[in-house]
Parts: sequence; C-alpha cells; structure tokens
Amino acid sequence: MSAVIEIAGLRKSFHSARQGRRVAVDGFDLLVEAGQIHGFLGPNGSGKTTTLRALLGLVGADEGRMSVLGASSPERLPEVAGRVGAIVESPQFFGNFTARKTLRLLAVAGGVPTSRVDEVLEQVGLRDRGGERVKGYSLGMRQRLAVASALLKNPELLILDEPANGLDPAGIREMRDLMRSLAAAGVTVLLSSHILAEIQLICDHVTIISRGRRVAHGRVDEVLAGYDQHQWRVVVAAPDRAAELLGMAGVSVTTLADQLVVTGVDDPELISRTLGEQGLWVRELVPLRPDLESVFLELTGAHPQPAVPRQVDGGVPPEGPDGPLIDLDVRETREVGA
Amino acid sequence: MRLVRAEVERLAARRFVQLMVVLLLAAFAVTVVTTLAGSHRPSVAELTRAQAQAAEAVRELEMQHDRCLAIKAGTTTPVETDYIPRDCSEVDPALMERLPTSADYLSGVFVFGHEAEGLLYFLIAFLALFGFLVGASYIGADLNSGGVVNLLLWRPQRRAVLGAKLGTLLGAVLALAAVASAAYLAVFWLIGQFAGRPGQPDWAALGVTHGRGLVLVLLTAALGFAIATLGRHTSAALGTVAAYLVVWELGARLVFDILSVSRPERLMLSTYLGAWLAGEVRFFDSASCASVTETFCDASYTIGWAPGMVVLVGLTVALVLAAFAAFRRRDLI
Repeated sequence: MSAVIEIAGLRKSFHSARQGRRVAVDGFDLLVEAGQIHGFLGPNGSGKTTTLRALLGLVGADEGRMSVLGASSPERLPEVAGRVGAIVESPQFFGNFTARKTLRLLAVAGGVPTSRVDEVLEQVGLRDRGGERVKGYSLGMRQRLAVASALLKNPELLILDEPANGLDPAGIREMRDLMRSLAAAGVTVLLSSHILAEIQLICDHVTIISRGRRVAHGRVDEVLAGYDQHQWRVVVAAPDRAAELLGMAGVSVTTLADQLVVTGVDDPELISRTLGEQGLWVRELVPLRPDLESVFLELTGAHPQPAVPRQVDGGVPPEGPDGPLIDLDVRETREVGA
Repeated sequence: MRLVRAEVERLAARRFVQLMVVLLLAAFAVTVVTTLAGSHRPSVAELTRAQAQAAEAVRELEMQHDRCLAIKAGTTTPVETDYIPRDCSEVDPALMERLPTSADYLSGVFVFGHEAEGLLYFLIAFLALFGFLVGASYIGADLNSGGVVNLLLWRPQRRAVLGAKLGTLLGAVLALAAVASAAYLAVFWLIGQFAGRPGQPDWAALGVTHGRGLVLVLLTAALGFAIATLGRHTSAALGTVAAYLVVWELGARLVFDILSVSRPERLMLSTYLGAWLAGEVRFFDSASCASVTETFCDASYTIGWAPGMVVLVGLTVALVLAAFAAFRRRDLI
C-alpha cells in the first residue's frame, strides 16, 4: 500500500517571553497508508493537534519531513489540497452566515461545484437546518458542519480532529457509520479522538503519541496483542484454596475478593483441569483482554491516581538541553483548564 | 479568481459591511433632506438683489486696491482704518482666488458651486472611516474566528489568501466610494438645478479633490487591514488609531508646545493627511521669527500634497508589507 501521510522526525516548539520554550512535538513519526482508518491518540497536550496543524501548513515545523498524498508539506501542499478534507480542533464559523452559505463560500473558493453543498449537508444530517444561522447551532451541529466542510471536496484523504466532539450518542454512531462508509468508498481517514472505544471500533490502525513522541503504532489488534498478559478472571467457591492450588501449579495468581486473576496462561484448560482435579469447580472463566483504553493509559502514563489531580500529559516536564521542556499543546491546555 | 469571487461574496455578506452601507445611505439621505428643506429656488427679485450686492462687494475691493496703490504712490494720505499690505497685489481683486458672487448673498438657497467642495470633504471623511473600519473588521474577524484557518485548509497559500482578501477589500471599497461619490454629487447638482442654484462649480478642482479623496479612502482601508492583520484582531486597529491620536497627536503636540519645538506639525500624520487632501497646508512657526525684531518676517511655512502622498503611501505600504511578512510566518493556532 502507498503512504498517504508520512511524518518523520517532526519537531515543533513554541516560544513565549513569559513561559520560555515549550516543546509540543519532539521527533514524532507517523505513517498512514492508503485505505486505512487510522486512529491518532494522545492525552491532552501530547501534541496531536500541533502535529495535524503542522501537517496542514498551519504552524511551521522546526525540524522533520512531512508529506501528504506524496507531496511534501507545506511546500507542495497546494498541489494536493483539493484532495484533502480536514478539520482541526473545533472549527469556528461566522455566526451570522447560514451553514449553506458557509459551505457555498468554501466551495466557490475551492472550485468545487456548489451542488455538493446540499449533498454533504444531507450526509451529515443537516439538510433541514442548513438554512439557519450557525450562531444558533449546538456544538454537535457545528461539528457536523465542520465534517461537512471537510467532505465538500470529495476528498481522498480525510483528517478529522475530534470529529465526535459535542455529538450525542446517536450522532457518534452516525459519525462512525459515515467513517466506515467513506473508508469503504476508498477514502483514507486519519482520526484523532479521545473516545478510545470509538477508535477501537472504527480504526484498523492506530498511532499513540505522548509528550510529543510516538509511543505505539501499528494495527489496532497487534498493538493490543503486544499488551496481552494472557489474564483470566476465575470465580470459584473457595478462592483462597484455588489460589493455593494454582500457585502450586506454577501459575501467577492475584486474589481479588471473591475472584482470582490468573496471569500468563495461554490455555484456560490448565486452570479448569488443575482446579477440577481437586474438586473445585470453576463457575466463571473469562479472558481479560486489553482494550485500547488500558493500553493508552499504560503507554501515556495517564492512569488516574486517587486524590491526585492529573497534570496535562503526565505533568512532569522533561529536561532538555536548554532548560525545562514542558510538553504542552497550548490549545489543549486551555480546554483542560476550562 | 475563484478566491476573489468567494471573498467578494463573503465581504458583501458581512453584517458590519451592510451596517456601514446603511449608515452611509442614511447620512446621505439626511443631508439631502435637510438641504432640500433649507433651500428654495430664488425669485427674480432675490437674484437681482444678490447680484447687486455682489457687484457692490467687488466694487469695494477694487476701490480698496486703488486706494492702496494711491497710498503707496503718496497721492493719498492713509487713515487709521486703512489696511495697507506690503504689496498692494495682495488686495488686487484681479488676483484673488475667488471674488464675491451672487451666491454669497442668497439666503436659504443651496448653491451647488458654492457648497460642492465642503460636501465632498464630508463624504470623503465618511468613506475613509468606512474603509478603515471595514478593512480592519474584515480581516480581524476572520483571523479571530478561525475563518482564515478554514480557508487555508482549502487554499494553503497564505500570500494568495491574504492578497485576495486585500485586493477584494480595496476593489470593493473603491467601487463603492466611486459610485457613492458620483451619486452624491449628482444628487446635489440636481438639487442645485431644481431647488436652488447650480452656481459655477470648479469641476477641475472638484475632480482633483475627488481623486485625492478616493486615494485616501483606499489608504485608510489598507491601513485598517494591515494593522488588524498584525494585531490579529479588529480591535488592534481601532486601539492603535485611538492610541496614536491620544498619545501623539494630542500628548506629543502638547509636549512639543511646552518645549517650543520648531515646526512640530511636520511630525504629525494629520498634517500630511490634510496636505494631501487640500493640496497644501500652511502653518505659522513663531520660533523662526523669534530673533527678528525690526524687519518683516514671514513665519509661515507650507507642506504640499507631494510630501503628504509620500508619507501616507510610504506608511501604508510599510505596514501592508509587514502584515504580509508576519502572516506568512505566523503559527495559526
């Protein structure tokens, strides 16, 4: 498969007189191939949005190479911009313009037939509200409008930053179906989101970023498999006795109230046979597979600690050659602080 | 071209622009109505009386000039109330820019030739304000609301996007200013024809003032656009102008006055603005005559339209170039 997005060694820092230098992205790599629905995950302030902005030419990179649809970015971005639909963070629109007018102006500027406006409004479920002023829209409706603006070009590549932001459960499901139908039609999708269950449901590939660096990437099932500890949840009548027996069989066991968590067992038959031979009958034997959330929390160090407010992306600024480097995406910090 | 088309639509759809156009029309309508209400076609008797008064005034000027010449020749003794200039050509009616006309003695009659220049200055002032505010809000609101980011996702060419916006703004403002001023003068000319007197307008002078006014309108629009681009917000442009007026035009002028700085007007933008629009401005420099006690000293000095143009165009071009340079390198977050 051909690479649709390639980022190698991307580095971006922001400078301010008051706060000094802040590294937002620190040698980040990303590869998205044609036809993928690629999830892009990271905690607040990890550099996701900065990466997407750099890729789309909205912020200048300090170092690194980027290309979109084979064209180096940002130098040759104009050559492929007509084939890329993108929304970055929560896009803002003129409140006094209607959705239809907003899209029409973009269509005119981009040389897209204005007949596409009603098609995309239909696609995102805004057909009947397209004549209303955007200032009357809810957050979810604005998000739909943003997705509509990205779809307007009939893109080959869709870059969506938090597209489900503000959507209700039905809207999230609609967005999921839309992504799938677009992927089925051959559109490559790069999807940044905090809703990990959604990513796991929709995406076939994933890249996880933390502190501006890539910490995991690959097929979703392969990334998850890498963190599979072959754990099983076991419910028996006498858990203490069962733990003793399993321990004697050389198995690692953790007792949790009235159940056991057994680790490092490939074949569950070992558990049921060991206990059954001693007259202990297994009531429940459930595999504990890692999900994206647990992998994400593990990789990004974002596990919540009781009574300890978690700081943005770990909260421990890494030391750099020029003093303390705080891994912070300014916009996302604002969201967290709000 | 597509970008310009979209920008023209966007500009026309802006509420602020629509509001400013409505204000322009309202000011236009109020001026027309009040002029109409305060004017009438003069009767033959009124005209005859005004013409006689004008002729009398001209005759008095001629007599004053003749008396001046006679006093200088020593054939007449001056009295206390005589005004005797150094050179009698100063009071020579033949050399005067403008002689009294019947229009000066027609009460309640709108005389187009007499009023046209003042009306044009009023319109230019309004259009310059219009240009500045629309220029600043057009880009300021776009930068602030994320509209520019949306557009750059479609056309990732910053210079082209900003250039299309500036070009659209200047084209639209010029078109509106040209149409508005032509309509404005035409309506008042008609009022002069049918509800007053046409007078004898100096069309050449009006044309020059009109041309200079249109250039000024374009410059103020570009200035508003450039300052708002640099400051990323409409209010940056408004704040900059307010700060300049208070700190420099008022505050610094006071300080210069206290320190008796020579010719402080040369340091004020308002001087060059006035010089450009009026063709020339004359100031009095008391410091230049401070050491002269006995002989005549002309303390006045003038600044013409050419330095006015250089300063205004230079400032605008510098700010526009700075805005483009800043926008090209800026991180849009």
